Parts: sequence; structure tokens; C-alpha cells
Amino acid sequence: MLFLPRFDYEEPRTLPEALDILSDLRSDTKVIAGGTDLIVNMKKGSVDPARIVSLKRLKGIRGITRKKEIVAIGSYTTAADIARSDVIARSFPVLRKAALSLGSPLIRNRATIGGNIATARPAADLPPALIALGARIKLRTKGTNRTVIPDVFFIGPGRSILGKDEIITEISLSTLPPFTGADYIKLGHRAALEIAIVAVASRITLDSPDGVIRDARIVLSAVAPTAVRALSAEGALLGEYPSDELFAKAASLAMNDCSPVSDIRGGADYRRDMVRALTIRTLANAYREACGQGVGL
Amino acid sequence: MKKIITVTVNGTEYESAVNPNMTLARFLREGLGLFGTKEGCGVGDCGACTVIMDGQPVNSCLVLAVEANGSAIVTIEGIGEGGKLHPVQEAFIEAGAIQCGFCTPGMVLVAVNLLENNPSPTENEVRQALSGNLCRCTGYQKIVEAVERAASKIVCGERAGEL
Ligand SMILES: Cc1cc2nc3c(=O)[nH]c(=O)nc-3n(C[C@H](O)[C@H](O)[C@H](O)COP(=O)(O)OP(=O)(O)OC[C@H]3O[C@@H](n4cnc5c(N)ncnc54)[C@H](O)[C@@H]3O)c2cc1C
Ligand code: FES
Ligand code: FES
Repeated sequence: MLFLPRFDYEEPRTLPEALDILSDLRSDTKVIAGGTDLIVNMKKGSVDPARIVSLKRLKGIRGITRKKEIVAIGSYTTAADIARSDVIARSFPVLRKAALSLGSPLIRNRATIGGNIATARPAADLPPALIALGARIKLRTKGTNRTVIPDVFFIGPGRSILGKDEIITEISLSTLPPFTGADYIKLGHRAALEIAIVAVASRITLDSPDGVIRDARIVLSAVAPTAVRALSAEGALLGEYPSDELFAKAASLAMNDCSPVSDIRGGADYRRDMVRALTIRTLANAYREACGQGVGL
Repeated sequence: MKKIITVTVNGTEYESAVNPNMTLARFLREGLGLFGTKEGCGVGDCGACTVIMDGQPVNSCLVLAVEANGSAIVTIEGIGEGGKLHPVQEAFIEAGAIQCGFCTPGMVLVAVNLLENNPSPTENEVRQALSGNLCRCTGYQKIVEAVERAASKIVCGERAGEL
């Protein structure tokens, strides 16, 4: 049996109170949300905080709300909450698909979106979809307030710009322009309880159902120290009419927009090949959705 | 420092002083003597420690007991009534879905929760619901059959009750 080291535990009732506790940087303090990363890491001994601050009782950081064009997701919202939200299913089906590929049903009932971002795992399932959708992350400390995009939030495996005294409070998304479609595909050895070998999220916006591509994002995951955008592949799509040949060309470019490593989950060459395959597939599905034909799960 | 928590387990309210580093799985087993909840991997991979927390199945090895303060927990000990097995438990026995039994409490609780929310699941929905629970013995087929059998038992039972 794996035991947890000792630590102090605080359960603030308000966000200011939580930020106040975190602002005391003398003690090594960690925030806990769902605990599905933190508790595992503490059991394995890779982190050993002296104090844990629980976000459980804070009001206003869980749930999904829509105000006009903006959908706000509280950082304590679980992957299961996201997967069953009608607002998400209607406006951002790609995020629903990403949430459903995270862990297992049991893990999803605890794992939060804030925790999935804060851990900064290279293969985390929600960031690729969030980057593709142009999400914004709200961060707070006792005295500061900032909003950043996920593209700049991640620095490397387990590393981000998140300060020790900072809390992710909300993730916000603007509703997408018409004729937009997106898809996320995660490649793993099995369907549940699996960390991605490669994952790709793509989004395209067309001028009109039979028009050119006006905007495109392709995000590659598990093939670089952080999720990365395939910028040369994106560039190849802009202003062009969608076609199988165009998607194949973009996918070949995407293979060089990443820097995969070989490990026990897959070789670098295999990963590059899979980047190409998944880029073609996600673009084709995104295109189908952009034309109003829907994308299957 | 110990924290006082109040947790409702299988309908009974318990007040208890626990160390923050006590997991819910260990609290149920060592604190309350409810040994039906098993601990396998301890890191969220196997589902042997599954309990229902506020209506949702979770891995109790990854939940701190202090985080369960104020919650309602259902363990395998809490699903039968008056010494009678739950229809899902009966179906597991009838279908031969139990071998060593270590995964069974978690499997049964996930199935009970699934059937409460979706009384007539498809085979695919059953497999999806059980995808966080590993079994080293049965090969899963009989577990899936047991859940399907339980679904028809419960639906038929309710119809019989209406007649
Ligand atoms: C069996 C298993 C399978 C998994 N499978 C997957 C998978 O398929 N895909 C995937 O992406 N992940 C997976 N994970 C990892 C994990 O479940 C997710 O990363 C999850 O989203 C983490 O969220 P949490 O709320 O549990 O975070 P916690 O464990 O509570 O916290 C994780 C880290 O983030 C910090 N943190 C949490 N919330 C905030 C906040 N609001 N502000 C600032 N810092 C914060 C904590 O201090 C901690 O360092 C898996 C984990 C397990 C145990
Ligand atoms: S013991 Fe909790 S998931 Fe294995
Ligand atoms: S019956 Fe032995 S692990 Fe499932």
C-alpha cells in the first residue's frame, strides 16, 4: 500500500482567504482540486508539500456559464461536468470529446480542468482543445489579476508560468464564428486509462460552406515538451480551398513542427507518422463539421 | 494536526478526527472497519477502491478523508437491503462474474450507479462505465453480462411492482 507523507491541510471558504494563505511563501504550499495528479505524485514521492490548500469550499469556481458570446468554465469544473454540459456539447463539441478521453469515468468525476492545466503534463488532454479553441486562462494572486492564453502558459514538462501563490480561477472561451469545425483525436494503446502517445486537435473556419479556409489551428500533443501549434501546417491552409491534397500537405508539414522523443510508449519516427495521420483525420473531421455535417465521436 | 470530519456512510453519520494524509479508502477500512472497499494500486488505475461519493463513483484511494467532509458515501456494504443482496450482486453471482472477488465491490458499485442513471444501458455503455475498473480474472465478458442481466432484473422487478 502506498502511504501519503504528512502535511497540514487548510480549507478556506473564500477565494481571497485562499489567496491570502498562498501569499505566505515561507511554507511549501500546494493547492488541491480533484487530487488525481497531486495525490498520485505525493504517494510516489515526487512532490512533498508541507501544506495543502483545498479549493473544495470556494464558491463560484465550479460550473459552466454562458454570457452572450463568452462561455466561462470555473477552474474546479470536472472533466465529467464538461462532458455532460449541454452548452459545451452545442458550442465546443471538441472540448467534450477531449474531456471524455481523459482517464476513466472514475477519474473524470474528480479531475478538474484547472488541475489539468496546472500540472502542465505534455500529454494532458484538455490543453490541445483549449489552444485550438483560443481559450483564455484567468489567474489570480492576492494582489494581481491576469489573463493568459494557453499557448504561453506552458513552458515544459510539469512547468508553466503559474506562480506558487497563484490560482487558476476560470477558463473562458468565445463562441466560434460560423462555418467552424474542430476535432481532437488521442492515440493510445487502449481506450480508457491511457496517456496519449500522440494527440492532435485541429480547428478550421471557412469563409462560407464552399469557401476558402479563413482561420486554422493545429495543435500537436505528446510530441514536444508542451502542446505545440503546427504553425507551418496552419500557414499552408490559410486562403486555400479545403481538399484531401491540401490536408495531406499540411499534415506533412506538421511532422516537422514537433520534436518527438522515443520512449517506451512509442518511437520518435512512429510518433511523427502518427502526427501526419491524426492531422489529416482531424482536419477532415473539422472540415465536415464546418460544413454543417457534424463530427461523430 | 487532526481534523474533525462528518461523513455519512451508507446512511449513518460519523464524526471522526482524521489526519490530513488519511485517504478515504483507508478511513473506510481502518477507521470504520468497512473492509469491502479494496485497495489495489493506490494510484487511480484499478478501481478496486471505488465508492459512490455524493452520487458519483470515485477512486477512494485518491480522495483525502478530509475532502470527504460533509459528503455522503455509499460503499459495497450499503447497497443491499435488510440482509438481502442487491439485484446487481445477485446477477454477478448468477452470471459467474466473480472469481477472486477483489475487483467485485468496485464493479458492482459502478454498475449500481450506472443503472440508477440509465436503467437500460447498451452493451457499449456498460463497457464504457466499467472502463476504470480492472479485473485480472474474469476477462470482463461475464461482468458485462451480469450488468445486462441486472438491468433486465431491475426493470422487470419494477414492472412486477407496478402490476
Ligand atoms: C489513473 C489516472 C489516469 C489519468 N489519465 C489522464 C488522461 O488520460 N489525460 C490527462 O490529461 N490526465 C490524466 N490524468 C491526470 C489527472 O487526472 C488530470 O491531469 C487532472 O485533470 C488533474 O486535475 P485535478 O483536479 O485532479 O488536479 P490536482 O491533482 O488537484 O492538482 C494537480 C496540480 O495542479 C495544481 N492545481 C490544481 N488546481 C489548481 C488551480 N485552480 N490553480 C492553481 N493550481 C492548481 C495542484 O497544486 C497540483 O500541482 C490521470 C490521472 C490518473 C490518476
Ligand atoms: S486502489 Fe484506487 S484505483 Fe486502484
Ligand atoms: S474477479 Fe479477480 S480481479 Fe476481478
